[in-house]
Amino acid sequence: MVRFWLALFALLISAPVQAQDKLVVSIWGGSWRDLVAETVAKKFTAETGVPVDFITGGTIDRLNKEKLAKGSPESDITFTTSHVGWLYANDGLFETLDTSKIPNAANLSEEARISPYHLGAWAYVYTIGYRADLVKDVKFESWSDLWSPELKGKLAAPDFDPSHIIAVSAMLSDADAAHWEKGEDKLKALKPNFKAFYTNDANSQQLLASGETPVQIVLSMNAYYMIGQGVPITLVIPKEGAVLGIDTVAIMKGSKKAELAYKFINTLYDPEIQAEIAKLKKGSPAVLNAKVDPEIAKLPGVFTTAAQWKQQINIDAKLRAEKTAEWRKWFAENIMN
Amino acid sequence: MNQQPFLRAFTTPAAFCALGFVAAMIAVLQYSLRAYVPGSLDPGGFTLANFSDLLKPLYAQVFLNTVWICALTAVATLFVGYPLAYALVHIANPLAKSALLVIVVTPLFLGEVVRTYSWIIVLGNNGFINSVLRGLGLIEQPVQFMFTTFGVVVALVHVTLPVMVIMLAAGLSHIDRDYLRAAESLGAGPIRVFLTVTLPLSMPGVIAGVTTAFAWTFSAFATPQLIGGGRVNMISNLVYQLGFASFNFPFAATLCVAGLALTIAVLAMLRLAARPFENIEAH
Repeated sequence: MVRFWLALFALLISAPVQAQDKLVVSIWGGSWRDLVAETVAKKFTAETGVPVDFITGGTIDRLNKEKLAKGSPESDITFTTSHVGWLYANDGLFETLDTSKIPNAANLSEEARISPYHLGAWAYVYTIGYRADLVKDVKFESWSDLWSPELKGKLAAPDFDPSHIIAVSAMLSDADAAHWEKGEDKLKALKPNFKAFYTNDANSQQLLASGETPVQIVLSMNAYYMIGQGVPITLVIPKEGAVLGIDTVAIMKGSKKAELAYKFINTLYDPEIQAEIAKLKKGSPAVLNAKVDPEIAKLPGVFTTAAQWKQQINIDAKLRAEKTAEWRKWFAENIMN
Repeated sequence: MNQQPFLRAFTTPAAFCALGFVAAMIAVLQYSLRAYVPGSLDPGGFTLANFSDLLKPLYAQVFLNTVWICALTAVATLFVGYPLAYALVHIANPLAKSALLVIVVTPLFLGEVVRTYSWIIVLGNNGFINSVLRGLGLIEQPVQFMFTTFGVVVALVHVTLPVMVIMLAAGLSHIDRDYLRAAESLGAGPIRVFLTVTLPLSMPGVIAGVTTAFAWTFSAFATPQLIGGGRVNMISNLVYQLGFASFNFPFAATLCVAGLALTIAVLAMLRLAARPFENIEAH
């Protein structure tokens, strides 16, 4: 009987075998998966006849799974945030990219060339979003306006990543993210204005929609989604620029379908696909030759020229990967609690 | 002759599970003693620095908050759950009994996140409670329920209530009705019967319910995360904030080990306190 259970156990753990005739893409679930499925994957399958299968999950869940599967990855391609991509790369999980196999990558913006292992797929910003109907006495022209006493107990920021406000506080203290300590006192002075810290996009939406926190340091794409749902949010790009965020793409080391993966990434950088992604998510295309709808291109937080990319606050992804834990701990100890 | 021929076969899957659980615990313990290396997923050498970090006032405060919230939740759930469990056991009408059981148990079938979002709608500044209070002219400015310990406890009571009611109902249903009839025949009124017979005899169920509610709440994550909004934190929220959101797995593991030790210590104290009630016979 023990042998029966051992056999059953072995069968269960060997059950999720990957389909050999598909390209497997690891990405966040929900609208992110749908975005890639309806744009890149659709065109890739039409051109190659190879279907795309998706593995979805949170940023850290997927990172841990791939770390455990090192050498025989669960996916061929991974989408992740630029600084988390450095954690994959530092652990030897990403293939070094041969950009000669990605001709469309020639048009990538400079900021989207993150590392030899991962490249930007699209971009967004974290910036100030507010309910003009609930905050009437404050004008948001500069990041320093967040420190206004009128905003006491009205502000929310992400609890999972304080890097945006840490970089901004450093900048307002004549320093940069690498010398973030110089902005500590500035950030501590913002503490009375924080009312809550949101856990995810849905939580951010709920807090803004209900007016619970009428001002947020918010993901631009998330703000546009809410605006589309009828929530009267005003998104502003402060004169110092917004904090740039880049989601990246990479090929997993050990993938047996590297050639197909290169084709997939090349399809991702197709100017039409990039324009479609910008339209669907109201983010910035990673390539500079995308023909973005003028109505989309004029939105705050959507960049289509090299000059626009350069105007934003760009925290070096490698620095961010190394500093995230230190920043997070300091933020929890000094601001959140 | 083997008296329990299937024992070995039936316990084999449990042994596999136990093996996996022990392996996971050893991994967590091992991680808690390793250094965090910035920018890397692999931990560094062995160190006790993670445990010395726990002595900072912030962490001691979160640990105390956790115990306080668990205690409040367990007691509040007991007060809300006892009348429901009593009614569940004593209602004679099978239809009413079924309806009550469905109302009590239904929350178990909803995810914790769904239930918590419902409470956000109820407790928010423009939520149900504030709207009613404003509508009745009792308040002008909304009462702040969100991001407070009160709001977190209210939502946790809802999450914990089904477990408490089921345990209390089990305790109450074991009370021999002859004791109640005997008390009544000796002239005791309903209140006296309840206070001198039902309540003492239901203490084993009360203790089991309170202990379970306490332990159940200790690992609460979604409710304090969403209702607390980063302002009311329990240990699991700290593990998420410092571990998973920043890749500092060694320190997250240290918090888990400390949290587990605290849970065991508190439950041991509860058990000691409950010892006088252990020998109560309900029938």
